[in-house]
Amino acid sequence: MAATVVAHLELDRPRCEGHGLCEEAAPDLMHLDDEGELVLDATDISEQDLEAARTAVRVCPVAALKLA
Amino acid sequence: MTAMHPSPSPSVGAPGRIVIVGHGIAGLTAGDTLRREGFSGELTVIGQEPHDPYSRPALSKAMLEDLSTPSPGAVTEIEAQYLAAPSEGATVHAGRSAVGLDPEAQTVLLDDGGVLAYDGLVITSGARARRFTDSPDEYTLRGLDDARALRQRLAGRPAVIVIGGGPLGMEVASAAREAGCEVTLVHRGQPMRRHVGDVLAGLCTSAARDRGLHLVDASVTRVHRDAPDGGLDIELSTGGTLRAEVIVSAIGDAPNDEWLADSGLLTDGRLLIDDWGIVAPGVVAAGDVAWRRSGPGIQRRALWTDAIEQAKVAAEALLHGRSASPASYAPYFWTEQFGLNLRICGEVPAEVTPTVVDGDLAESRAVLQWEDPTQGGAAAAVNFRIPIPKLRRLARPAPAAA
Repeated sequence: MAATVVAHLELDRPRCEGHGLCEEAAPDLMHLDDEGELVLDATDISEQDLEAARTAVRVCPVAALKLA
Repeated sequence: MTAMHPSPSPSVGAPGRIVIVGHGIAGLTAGDTLRREGFSGELTVIGQEPHDPYSRPALSKAMLEDLSTPSPGAVTEIEAQYLAAPSEGATVHAGRSAVGLDPEAQTVLLDDGGVLAYDGLVITSGARARRFTDSPDEYTLRGLDDARALRQRLAGRPAVIVIGGGPLGMEVASAAREAGCEVTLVHRGQPMRRHVGDVLAGLCTSAARDRGLHLVDASVTRVHRDAPDGGLDIELSTGGTLRAEVIVSAIGDAPNDEWLADSGLLTDGRLLIDDWGIVAPGVVAAGDVAWRRSGPGIQRRALWTDAIEQAKVAAEALLHGRSASPASYAPYFWTEQFGLNLRICGEVPAEVTPTVVDGDLAESRAVLQWEDPTQGGAAAAVNFRIPIPKLRRLARPAPAAA
């Protein structure tokens, strides 16, 4: 059963510096690969994941993530 | 939305109106957390700067962009890296400062004469750069306006003296060198040592020298303006004097706590928080303005990650008291200077020699690990992309690995 999508997560890749604080905030939604590049594992955000996504957006020191 | 004594959640003493003073990362995080924890009352945010909230750590790097291109006339405006807006339903007063607090009446006084009543107060008023003079030739780098002004000035390629050899001073020196300025950095002892330890400080210093930075080992006793040419004289602890066209002071920050002077909330002139960020009943604080106990002393550590952790815990405590988890710090900071990209987890024990876990220090590309039985561990990545959770695991003392 598909959860309703309430927001989309966007990454401004050139801006991303690979700090990985977002991964610590939302490990189910994103991770850094072995090269330290950020991989979004989900971009369609459900109500259930919204708080984690918001926290990940907030914690990014270079504002590379956005919820739209 | 609810005007009178709403009961937003079943928690003990949940306040109906919360005022957050400061809209840097600590204030923003506190607002997010309050909403997430179910606070549905009135949320008001006072932001001292007229700008929308932006990332401070990104400023020293943004200052660089375009400056190294050979067209000094064409300096583009710095593009701030704006942060996500304050939490939903918050009323934001930007460009306003809190100038007083009456904890009995539970009101915050604003610089425009406005008075805000609160049931709960979050103090995240931050800090400002310390400086020697009020001369327009002395720059600091703390806010967006500072960064814009400094960048304009550096575009004219002046000779620059940077005072202070911590991460900010070295980043500014690096930027100014890259812009083509003659740059001298004044610092007592080895730059960066306190932040990254002997080994990495050595690496930073030699990279800086290779790129033409002049280092002066001295502390500054006084800076004064000498007529008539408008230059600044920097008096050194070693007895000499340096004459500067432009100086950039990177000598730390001072907490914005003057507005609390008559509030009775300061302890020996400092805003002291406990492990939950609590200052007094109904009042919490977080971020650069706040001091906390650390071992036998007290500490104020201006780190992005600390501000976030403190703000989260403080907001929870404002709603739920000390039943929430106390703050748990996992220090992380990063710096880019003179071709080096450093990421550090934990507190580096200055005199301990690190183990090279990966890469090679001689090639300035390595992952380092420090083990120190007294302080816990630390780890660093030098020009090495590594997931921070992985770096954190390296920073933890060995027995904790799981």
